[in-house]
Amino acid sequence: MAIETLVLGAGQEVGKSCVVVNINGKRIMFDCGMHMGVSDHRRYPNFSLISPTGDFDTALSCIIITHLYCINTLFLRFHYFLIIKISHSLILYSYIFFFGIICDSHLDHLGALVYFTEVCGFHGPIYMTYPTKALAPLMLEDYRKVLVERRGEEEQFNSDHIAECMKKVIAVDLRQTIQVDKDLQIRAYYAGHVLGAAMFHAKVGDSEMVYTGDYNMTPDRHLGAAQIDRLRLDLLITESTYGTTIRDSKYAREREFLDAVHKCVSAGGKVLIPTFGLGRAQELCILMDDYWERMNLKVPIYFSAGLTKQANVYYKMLINWTSQKIKDSYPTNNAFDFKNVCKYERSVLDTPGPCVLFASPGMISGGLSLEVFKRWAPFENTLVALPGYCLPGTVGHVLMSKPPKIELDPNTKIDVRCQVHQLAFSPHTDSKGIMDLIKFLSPKHVILVHGEKPKMVSLKEKIHSEMGIPCYHPANNETVSVPSTVYVKAQASDAFMERCLKPNFKLHKCSSQELSIKTLTDKNIVPELQVINEKAVFIVEDKSKKLKVVHNDEVLVMLGEKKTED
Amino acid sequence: MLCCSVNFLFLCFFLQNNTPESIQPISMQTFTSMMNEILNPSTPKSTVSSIFKTLIHSLLHSPESHHSQILKLIADLSSHHPSLAQLALDSLQSMLPQLTDPPSQLTIEYLDALVNISERPVEVDDSLFTSICLAASFPVRLWMVRNSGCRVMVRPELLYPVLMGMTKEPYPCLREEALEALVRLGECAVFEEVSLVKGCYERGVQLLSDNEDCVRISAVRVLYVFQVALWGLMLASFNVDTKTYWSNEVFAMLCSVVRDMNMKVRVEVFNGLGKMEIVSKELLMQSLSKRVLVLDQSPTEQFVLLASNVAGALVHGVEDEFFEVRKSVCQSLRTLTVLSVEFAHAALNLLMDVLNDYKVEVRFQALETMHHMAINHCLELQENYMHKFLDVLEDNSSEVRFSARKIVRLMKLRNHLLFKSTMDVLLKNLDSYPQDEADIFSVLSHLGRNHKQFVDLIANEIADEVEASFEGNREFNSARMAALLVLSISAPFLNADVCPIPPVIFSFAATFLSRICCAFSDVMNRDTLLEYLIQKSSSMVQPEVNISNGEGQNPLAKDDVQNVAGNEMIHSEITINNGEGQLPLSKYNVQNVALEMKPPNDVGQHKRPVHDSVVLTYINYILVKLPNIWPKVQSCSANEVLCSLRHWKEELTSLTFDSSAPADASAFALLYLKIIKLVVEVWDHLVRKTEVVSGTVELEDKLEKLDGRAKELMNRFIGFSAEEEISVLELILLTYTLRLCRSEICSRNFIFKRMTIIYLRTESFLKLRSDVASGFVAELGSLIRESSNGGASCSSLAFDNCLKLFSPKRLMIREGIRHRRAELSIPNNCPDYPLPFAPGLTASIPCDITIHNISSNCRAWVRMCINDGFTQHVYLDLQSFEVSGEVRKISYAVPYYRTPELDSFNLKVCIGLESLFENVTPVQAHGGPKCELVLLCEEKIVYLSRVL
Repeated sequence: MAIETLVLGAGQEVGKSCVVVNINGKRIMFDCGMHMGVSDHRRYPNFSLISPTGDFDTALSCIIITHLYCINTLFLRFHYFLIIKISHSLILYSYIFFFGIICDSHLDHLGALVYFTEVCGFHGPIYMTYPTKALAPLMLEDYRKVLVERRGEEEQFNSDHIAECMKKVIAVDLRQTIQVDKDLQIRAYYAGHVLGAAMFHAKVGDSEMVYTGDYNMTPDRHLGAAQIDRLRLDLLITESTYGTTIRDSKYAREREFLDAVHKCVSAGGKVLIPTFGLGRAQELCILMDDYWERMNLKVPIYFSAGLTKQANVYYKMLINWTSQKIKDSYPTNNAFDFKNVCKYERSVLDTPGPCVLFASPGMISGGLSLEVFKRWAPFENTLVALPGYCLPGTVGHVLMSKPPKIELDPNTKIDVRCQVHQLAFSPHTDSKGIMDLIKFLSPKHVILVHGEKPKMVSLKEKIHSEMGIPCYHPANNETVSVPSTVYVKAQASDAFMERCLKPNFKLHKCSSQELSIKTLTDKNIVPELQVINEKAVFIVEDKSKKLKVVHNDEVLVMLGEKKTED
Repeated sequence: MLCCSVNFLFLCFFLQNNTPESIQPISMQTFTSMMNEILNPSTPKSTVSSIFKTLIHSLLHSPESHHSQILKLIADLSSHHPSLAQLALDSLQSMLPQLTDPPSQLTIEYLDALVNISERPVEVDDSLFTSICLAASFPVRLWMVRNSGCRVMVRPELLYPVLMGMTKEPYPCLREEALEALVRLGECAVFEEVSLVKGCYERGVQLLSDNEDCVRISAVRVLYVFQVALWGLMLASFNVDTKTYWSNEVFAMLCSVVRDMNMKVRVEVFNGLGKMEIVSKELLMQSLSKRVLVLDQSPTEQFVLLASNVAGALVHGVEDEFFEVRKSVCQSLRTLTVLSVEFAHAALNLLMDVLNDYKVEVRFQALETMHHMAINHCLELQENYMHKFLDVLEDNSSEVRFSARKIVRLMKLRNHLLFKSTMDVLLKNLDSYPQDEADIFSVLSHLGRNHKQFVDLIANEIADEVEASFEGNREFNSARMAALLVLSISAPFLNADVCPIPPVIFSFAATFLSRICCAFSDVMNRDTLLEYLIQKSSSMVQPEVNISNGEGQNPLAKDDVQNVAGNEMIHSEITINNGEGQLPLSKYNVQNVALEMKPPNDVGQHKRPVHDSVVLTYINYILVKLPNIWPKVQSCSANEVLCSLRHWKEELTSLTFDSSAPADASAFALLYLKIIKLVVEVWDHLVRKTEVVSGTVELEDKLEKLDGRAKELMNRFIGFSAEEEISVLELILLTYTLRLCRSEICSRNFIFKRMTIIYLRTESFLKLRSDVASGFVAELGSLIRESSNGGASCSSLAFDNCLKLFSPKRLMIREGIRHRRAELSIPNNCPDYPLPFAPGLTASIPCDITIHNISSNCRAWVRMCINDGFTQHVYLDLQSFEVSGEVRKISYAVPYYRTPELDSFNLKVCIGLESLFENVTPVQAHGGPKCELVLLCEEKIVYLSRVL
């Protein structure tokens, strides 16, 4: 028996996660993502490989979506939508003007779901966690609008399709075991990374496997670290985005950030933090709220309108999916009801005195953050804290080189006298985290997905050499087949069963002479008493070719019988 | 009430009719009434005993299903009526054998009742134990494993193999309980064979990868308990290399599970790491870095194997999501930082991060760890950390603030700016947390005492502010004023003559007396503080004082030092100094001459007499406290005591002197304190038999050091009063007793001999003064008299008992103590300008030697050592020295005969005095000194270079 893994997406690349696994005849599709950087047929996984006839309902048992989106950066520049390649992934940046919020969906784990279910016609069950189910329709709808209304592309699916698709979704909770059908069992484990992200354990018969999706092994302020039980796995499919990076403790960076902010506000300066709506804003705000609380600071913190309000609503509802810290403090206060955050009004921009302002969008690419930057940058006691990477072409990017002047357009020049501080963090696990997870789970085989090829190769070597576990990194549309565990059924004799219920060792008193002759199970013990492990179990094949397990006492009897028969 | 009496009647009826012959099963109702009677304290004894009898009888006759209730009643009855407990035990024990074949749930119920009734662990024989452990029923086995080694006593020889077998059980909770039982076994340290311990350890390692969380937790515990056990065993074999090797193994093994997904496992792992006793520095450093380190020198084979397991273990711990884990990491750092100074410095970075933690518990623990590091001299707060650290002083949790201030007390700041910012933060603290006032004042007083030079720099600033406020020119912030005053008056506390603090400050401070006296409670009480303040401020009010009458200037000294021979002498001695400038001449010889020399009436010079006597007072003030801290040593607050001792030591070291008398007294007190400190350090391990953090090798070192110090105390000071002499002798007896306590020491007889000599001396002294010997000396005396063949016959236990009787005497020192010391200088010699020599020919080493307080009948030597261990002694003829008082000087070219065939070499030169005190073993037979040498100065290195 074997487990066959067909990689439809994220094989030796980042994005478009889609893996179809066949365990003991059950086929499960893990994630159904799309490539955001391509607009032709390569955008979607090649579903025809699952079933050339298009009969997906018989070909697939279910679809499991591990999480919704990758928090990543978003880019807005003068109402244009751009597709820019950042290091390893192609990301779509969009700006929805009417809603005033920035959507940073990076639908590489679920983008193709609606297309697959509604257009290609899959009617089987779809599993995802509660937060993912809650946020998925919003994200998909957002994305559809961007694609159709703004980019003017051909409509792949409509709003009704999204609604229809969501009806097929079954929400699961953490560590809830779901019996998909008679043989297939799935269970979700917490994965950190983003709100609602989960690793999925699937079991068919005696074969077990885990698909991790994206995960984080180090907790941050608002999300916890991945948590899973020690399982007997035949296969582990893990992401490998940062297959070669080892990250240092983020505390040092946090400390520098807080020091810089504190220094600035205590000198009466203003702090501008340009961020996007989800994830990072909450993370930073919790960090600062704590610090304010501890240091008894009274300097106001503002959120520009709309930025995080909607996101905070979801976070507040889904406390169970956040970090231990937030869960700990939940009985007394909800960590997302930030104590030190004051109501934002436009007048605060000109109010004298220190303050901290979170303004959208990140990278100071327009909107409020650019407006505030224009006003505050000429003052020496202002601090601009850039949480994360800034794309070339944005003010944030220019600012990182600390120029004396920034020219926005021929008519607008800004004198830059403010201080600049950069803070970077990623919700993906690093290579040490991947290794630690593999070490903890000790699976029989590992398949790497969602990573760049050279990094995967080096990680694969490392896993193989350090842990001796066979490891694979298939490209898209390749299939890897690994052997799976099969337990053989055998009948057990009554005597054997009886012995099993008792401890499988006995005490044996022996003289010192005997001692030298006997093979000792444990040389350490005191001569007069020996522990003898009674492990001797015989498996006999009887006449009807069935296996039978008997105790060694019985073997002698059976052999005796045979002799007389002969 | 009615119900109760009905019950009682019913019960009486039951008891009367239920004779052994006609026994009936007991109904539920009867059980309840019996229970009532048992619980009721006024039930007559006869009823209780008849209930007891009935219960025992019914055990024999009622169906088994009733037994558990009956047993429960018997257990309750025995706990409420202890007089029946023994009877119950005997009856149950007699019934037990009938129930053991095969053992069932009922057997366990009987055993459980037995265990509940008995106050001591119940002993179970081998056959019963094995039959229960091999029983088919799982709960029966579980009960036995759970209770073995604590409530049920089994022979360890039997228990060990059974438990080892049980660790392979298919039931997780049995595996867990078996491991826990092994832990209990390991903690009792019953193992005497390394292989047994190793076997257990290896099983622990196997079960670290168990699928069940509870088993993994216990496996971690097995690992570190057995690491200790293993260590203890290897200690006996004195194999340091193996010890380190195994400790490293265990450390790495524990580190390899820090990423376990179960929080409790992780907590347990860090608890275990906190119990490590030796870990190599490289591995410790590796635990702070997630990347595998590239070492400067080629790494050991073990490091290469273990590095990836250890990598970043502590960092992961600090980053953990659960505060329990983070707290445990901080706790483990307490022990780990002691193991390596370099690691301690690196780990501080981690601790600084933890100070940002959102949980108070974690921040507090981090600070406690830093405090522990400070006590152990491994905390070095660099400037870039100071900023963060000062932030913590403003934390909104009071525990955290107190803990941070505890560290400030011990701090030695490097520069003025840091001092200023620390002071500012503390003053700000006072505004934001007025409830902490007392603690802040106390910290400020420590800060002032530790940083006199910085206080001096801002003294005028403070004085201006205080004066302006007192005169109403500024807003009067009383807390701030009090704080500034505390800081100012604490600085010149011991250093009056260099004090630029205007005397008026002391007058102001006196008005705040009750508010600020708590800040000085560790060194003086309220009255002493007042006198100190009055005396300091009086120099302003009474600039002209008649010195010769010796009144009025020194209330503190006068009050506290009753034993000082009299103010007359103090003043006469000081006048010499005034008259002759800074010449460090001895006061004693020229005392009378000096009296005739009238000192000029000058305020600046007035301060000196005050100063010197204050020093002596202060020294006495410290010494007087020693008996008071002793109970703390005997309990378990050694760290606290060490901290005070270290503080006093630092205070004494920081004193400056104009004349030799207080300098000698202070040298004596310093050495006395050093000895006491060493005693305290070894006390914990030797007397209270606790674990040593720093290892046995260091303990041995400390004992060695103690020995050296004791010798120094005996030989380098003269002029003791009888009382002082007895104190010193007693202390020396103590150091010998401590050495004898260590049973491993082979040279027992030798030490015992030396101790006997000192004891006889003490005894004769006591007889002379017709004093009564202290409990310690008396006990030691009887021990010495009892032992016929030297110390070998006495058990270390006997010495232990002596030690428990010891407490330091109340010691007040006087002026008479003189310090025998020497100053040696080799002019014009440094690595760049070596002295010339020709191999094989005698080299001459020009030495300028000054010796103090050594009479001409002593035998002094110059000792010269070369690196290969060869030592040459040259006799110093004291008669040929140029004498001025107690000081003798000579410039002398010392010959060195054995010049080697080398281009250059170094010689360690120093002056030594033959110790006539305890001439037990002659050191060198020919040529050199006949007795052991006591060194009078530091060794000087002489550089020699070949000329030919």
